[in-house]
Amino acid sequence: MMRLISKNRWTMGLFVVLALLFVVTKIIQPDFGASGVESLARASLPFAFATAAMAVVVIAGGIDLSVASMMAVASVTAAVLMQGASDAMAIPIVILVLVIGVIMGAINGALIVITKVPDIVVTLAMLFVWEGVALLILNAPGGAAADWLEALIVGGTGLLGIPKALIVLAVCVLVVWIPLRRSRLGLSIYAIGSDENAAFRSGIAVGRTRIIAYAICGLFAAMGGLSLTMSTGIGEPIPGPYLLASVAAVVLGGVVLGGGKGGLIGPIVAVFILRLVRMDLTLMSVDPNVTTIVEGTIMVAVVMLGGVLAIRSARS
Amino acid sequence: MKRVLKTAAAAAIAAGLGAPAIAGGHADYTIGISNTVQGNGWREEMICAMKAQALASGDVGSLNIAHRNTDAAGQLEDIRNLIQAGVDAIVLNPSNTEGVNSAIREATEAGIVVVAVDQAVTEESAYVLSNDQEGYAYLGAKWLFEQLGGSGDVVYMRGAAGAGADNDRHTGFTRALEEYPDINVVHEVFTGWQQDQGKQQILDYIATGLPFDGIWTSGIDNVIVDALVESDVPLVPVVGADNAGFVGQLASVDGLVGAAVTNPGSIGGAGVTLALQILGGDIPEDRTVLVTPSLWDNTTEEGMALINAAQNPNLDPEWPVSVSIPGWTTYTMEEIIACKGPGE
Repeated sequence: MMRLISKNRWTMGLFVVLALLFVVTKIIQPDFGASGVESLARASLPFAFATAAMAVVVIAGGIDLSVASMMAVASVTAAVLMQGASDAMAIPIVILVLVIGVIMGAINGALIVITKVPDIVVTLAMLFVWEGVALLILNAPGGAAADWLEALIVGGTGLLGIPKALIVLAVCVLVVWIPLRRSRLGLSIYAIGSDENAAFRSGIAVGRTRIIAYAICGLFAAMGGLSLTMSTGIGEPIPGPYLLASVAAVVLGGVVLGGGKGGLIGPIVAVFILRLVRMDLTLMSVDPNVTTIVEGTIMVAVVMLGGVLAIRSARS
Repeated sequence: MKRVLKTAAAAAIAAGLGAPAIAGGHADYTIGISNTVQGNGWREEMICAMKAQALASGDVGSLNIAHRNTDAAGQLEDIRNLIQAGVDAIVLNPSNTEGVNSAIREATEAGIVVVAVDQAVTEESAYVLSNDQEGYAYLGAKWLFEQLGGSGDVVYMRGAAGAGADNDRHTGFTRALEEYPDINVVHEVFTGWQQDQGKQQILDYIATGLPFDGIWTSGIDNVIVDALVESDVPLVPVVGADNAGFVGQLASVDGLVGAAVTNPGSIGGAGVTLALQILGGDIPEDRTVLVTPSLWDNTTEEGMALINAAQNPNLDPEWPVSVSIPGWTTYTMEEIIACKGPGE
């Protein structure tokens, strides 16, 4: 148990910060309760998927700037196909969108591996490509979502009133991440992020692993896009503010930007922290122009504090 | 079936919507505001109108403003946060006609009055006080095509790709275009409603040397005239919005033929007034009120009179000159420019 805690010190710290923030929220707004937690979970959903997507490629030593654009493609594809379709048809549509996500991610990864152009350049270019694709599919917000899909993330469950959105998030992330983390492929992803040459000399197919990491990123981005369609009931071709938010949550969540270190739980807890900060600032009716400054300052402060703690513990 | 009342703002009062809440100073409401475009002159004026009207009404104890650049999902989050904050009413500029319906429904079910301004929402429990965006584009485009004698090459400078208001305006523009089959759109771009982007786009097009006879803009207007003047190309007719900078140019730039179509950002203040009326028990008959745009062109005497009357050098060039809507807003010019809400 102690080993588990010390191994995941950063994530544990984030949980403590989140718990403290809940207490602060309750003090600011005494009425804060199940409905507040529920709306927090729903608001966090697209950010959490975007962050999971980003975290996987960052762990693999890369970055994907096209996350938000891929989400937009997934969202509009789902919304266009579901318009006028029956409830049952929504299942194959969801599967198709997830496959499209994997393909988009794999294209990003393949371009990086084949052309040897830096990932930041390739995915920056792909940001515009996927944005254009989303606009081609749907040039203005529109489309529809199946009612049961929308209902899937609304309200709480019988289980201690845990929000349905949180369950959906946990199931989707764990179904992909747990088997991956424990597999050879998962280890390879960490290995190429940690030291590409060492990984290559250990017999890891670096190129293939990188493409798969980007494909998983695409898969999570597609889930994020679906969650957008599920919460709004439409598809929006213009990407939302998920790119920078996902990088922020990944860093705050303890994933090292150089790659090779971190997991998905930390970044997702970080998403909840950032959303809760936003909610608290709204509850306190802080000047909206100050809000973003506060958000950015908190992020820098937390990451710096983490750095200091890491140096201290290394010394002792 | 939603009944749509098409009327001018002033006529809306005559149609029985009642006078705005008189600043009595009894009530102490908290009003939430949600807006999803930050750093755009029109939207900033809208926010300032909301603040100024809340202060002028005397019935608002505090404002809770969620004002940032985000998408429909982000606005859902903001509206739900405002519900958590326990506001009495929410005035929002919806990022989309359908995308935020679920949160609006949750708000009205919690007993919160919801007023959508500028753009409509399809959620029936909300009240809508909107500028007629389709009419806005149709009016300006039709004027431009008539100026060109029904034939010529037009540069079509739209708003933000995918935005609801841009889509409505495109519908209006297309309707006018169908009436003038000899008008060609030679160049179509999205300015993103950003001044710098729009100016760069027109400079790029001028640099191609391809001829054009007129320019329709979706409100990114004064920088287009600047670009024409700076590039020393013949001034072609330009359609813009009633932004202070452009309205100034219509009166002062030699040889410029143009028209401004009104699109008041002060509709935000009107939205606060409507919310306060409803909170005070004065429920309007119609849930939707459309504010009809009007056109001021500098080729006619009446148009010139309107343009001259609207000149206001105190305003930011990006701000619409219609800083108030008679019957709906009660603040003064100084108050909206000061941009202070209750408690500030």
